[in-house]
Amino acid sequence: MINKRKLLAILLVIVLSVTMLAGCGSKPAENPDDGGKDNEAPAEEPGSNEPVSEEDKFGGVMTVALSSSPKNLDPVKYTGVYEGNVISSIADTLVKYKQDLSEIVPSLATEWTTSDDGKVYTFKLRDDVYFQKGEYQDGRQMTAADVKYALERSATESAMNRLGMLDHVEIVNDFEVKCYLKEPNSAFLTVLTDAGNVIVPQEEVEGWGDSFGSHLVGTGPFSIKEFKKDQEVVLERNENYWATKPYLEGLVYKIITDPNQMTNALRTGEIDIATDLGGESVKIVKDDAKLTIQEVPGLHVAYLYMNLMNGPTADIKVREAIIKAIDIEEMVKGIYQYDEAQRAYLPLPPGSWGYDETLEDSIPTYDPEKAKELLTEAGYPDGFSLEVYVSNKPARVKMCTIIQAYLKQNLNIDLEIKTAEWGTFSEVASSGEADMYGMSWTWYPDPFFFLNKMFHSSEIGALGNGQGFNNPDVDKLLDEALVISDTEQRAELYKQALKLITENYSRINYSNEKVIYGFNPEVQDFVMRADNKIVVCSPEVNVWMKH
Amino acid sequence: MIKTILQRILQLIPILFIVSTIVFVLTRIIPGDPAVTMLGPQAPVEAVEELREELGLNKSIGEQYILYLKNVLKGDFGKSYAYNEPVTKLIFERFPNTLILTAISLILAIIIAIPIGIISATKQYSIFDYVSMIGALVGVSMPIFWLGLMLVLVFSVNLSWLPSIGMGSLENGIWDYVSHLILPSVCLATIPAATFARITRSSMLDIIKQDYIKSLRSKGLKERIVIWKHALKNALPPIITVIGLQISTSLSGAILTETIFGWPGMGRMIVDAIENRDYALIQGTVLFIAFLFVFINLIVDIIYLYVNPKINYEGKKGGE
Repeated sequence: MINKRKLLAILLVIVLSVTMLAGCGSKPAENPDDGGKDNEAPAEEPGSNEPVSEEDKFGGVMTVALSSSPKNLDPVKYTGVYEGNVISSIADTLVKYKQDLSEIVPSLATEWTTSDDGKVYTFKLRDDVYFQKGEYQDGRQMTAADVKYALERSATESAMNRLGMLDHVEIVNDFEVKCYLKEPNSAFLTVLTDAGNVIVPQEEVEGWGDSFGSHLVGTGPFSIKEFKKDQEVVLERNENYWATKPYLEGLVYKIITDPNQMTNALRTGEIDIATDLGGESVKIVKDDAKLTIQEVPGLHVAYLYMNLMNGPTADIKVREAIIKAIDIEEMVKGIYQYDEAQRAYLPLPPGSWGYDETLEDSIPTYDPEKAKELLTEAGYPDGFSLEVYVSNKPARVKMCTIIQAYLKQNLNIDLEIKTAEWGTFSEVASSGEADMYGMSWTWYPDPFFFLNKMFHSSEIGALGNGQGFNNPDVDKLLDEALVISDTEQRAELYKQALKLITENYSRINYSNEKVIYGFNPEVQDFVMRADNKIVVCSPEVNVWMKH
Repeated sequence: MIKTILQRILQLIPILFIVSTIVFVLTRIIPGDPAVTMLGPQAPVEAVEELREELGLNKSIGEQYILYLKNVLKGDFGKSYAYNEPVTKLIFERFPNTLILTAISLILAIIIAIPIGIISATKQYSIFDYVSMIGALVGVSMPIFWLGLMLVLVFSVNLSWLPSIGMGSLENGIWDYVSHLILPSVCLATIPAATFARITRSSMLDIIKQDYIKSLRSKGLKERIVIWKHALKNALPPIITVIGLQISTSLSGAILTETIFGWPGMGRMIVDAIENRDYALIQGTVLFIAFLFVFINLIVDIIYLYVNPKINYEGKKGGE
């Protein structure tokens, strides 16, 4: 009996150690061809020196992985950036952002003018644009009537109220329309670049009814071949695309929600582009000699709000003390071990034209002693306790843990970290119940989409301004900047607003995350965008694959 | 027997009613406003308000509940807001995917585990017994997420034998379909296989020690027939119970496996629905799963009657 028990014990030990070793052993196996590290310099744009003839560029199917699942491609129903990417591959807007986001350029509209009062926009349209063939029309020409239909539909039906400022559209002739706004709104052109405002044919929308979201038809470079919900969207080349003939025969958006699996699929060759890389995936792709990686600074700010309405953080001295007690530089290094972000200062990303570098110096620097003094002045010599809310994203939780340590050590503030999935988080955060909450914001380069949404008092109660930022002077500047149309004048007003906002120490802006994609090196001429938008074929870009 | 079955079916009604009420209450209790959650941080306040109205969320809870019950009775589970499609359609799109994955993995588990369990029982305390039972212990405690990723690293990334993600399509040939099935089913089969092996072993051990087995042996029956025919048949009821339980669990969606392998089944859809606070979809899928559970239990009970007529649900005495 005893012998048997001994035998069992020995066996157990052996099996356990073997499995443990096997577990460890599989790690090195992640880099199969040794020397991956030596070749780290990603083989300089492979093939850029050997010219490829124009015909050879045609053909092939490219697969792009999306980290979340597009569910509804109806432009007025879509809510996520993932859906936006797919919609933009199928349909076009009147105007669009240049690939480097420096300016708005023609797309379906060739030119436009704005009336003096800023309320009427006149667009001249291309006369060589045809819809993709669909169930309810056979690829007819797109005219002013379609623009009127699609934009007015968006103005009245959009779930996100994307085009709420549009009153109505008037048809001047077949290829010219006038858009009448309710109020002057200088963000109008930017809003028109949104995938929610693509031009779609009425017959298809009405013919499909509720299922138009699975059968989107537009004028874009690709048309839907098959939409397998939560698996992939298969697109094929639109031979009649007005701008150019797409090199790629097909484009597949494959949904891979697990980040590890996205990297794996890139390594097996099942996908050609892995989007939204972060954390260890960045290292794995960098270390793999057979893959390349590209990154651009994103139009992104990650930050921590402090409650301005209730609790100790309503006192500006407390807020300043908290900022001074945190070494933000060190913290950013700690959160983003693979250099996936740079340190941020302001609530606008540096890529926005309203950004003001001179304000960076006005952000309190790390000074634990001064912080302690300020907190004592504010009447809390012994600290207090606070609750911070974040979503369960690893980078956010890490940020909180680091801040927790700084605040305890330097100010004796007990920070309790509450993580929740998105639904719960957004309810607590937007209701103003959280002492602090951490999230991030990413949108267009127009400061309107950052400052108005996060600091205008009319947004109190929404997630953007759940902290309760309320400053009539800021409101006035923001309102004014929305009415005038000259960009330089607008930038000036936004900079003034930005100054007032920063002086308020209302939140800790700590990082601008980069947009990082991993590539199969066969992908050629792909241009990364700071707004994380995927553009495969447009008047500016035409991605192709080396065969 | 027919009476038993009918009785069981009648019992479904109160159960489903209770489940539907619980689901309704639970979806309203979890914090998070569906309109805010679905539209995301950048939605303007007016848009959120409009959606709330569209979803009927500004009606009182009582009104919402009555409306919901009325629709359920009509067989209308509502429309998923995120997909903009009827819930029933979504369930019937996803359920076959989950069904095939579950079926293959359970068959795999049964083929591997039951013989192992039987051999372990007949050769108790042999090396085979130790190794397989320790294997089962490891299997049952294996973190599925880790196992799934390891399978992919070995068989997809390093060996390039099998695809890492997604579901194949028969249009691309049978291999495309089968190859996509292999890793997820192996991953999903691990825990059930371990459980089945252990339960088979212990159940067989009980039976083997019984007098009637001894007498069968002494009658000179071949050992193979004693074990695989007589003993196994009598050892089956607990095994069937466990398999039945496992079927219902797997059918409700192998959430982790489906997530890792991007398998478009029920599990992933439910998690998504909960994250989006897609009330109609949560209610519909949970009700459907409850129905499955009850239904499979019923089937298991019927199978009992068949394999072991001694089991008697009607409480009549005797039965032999």
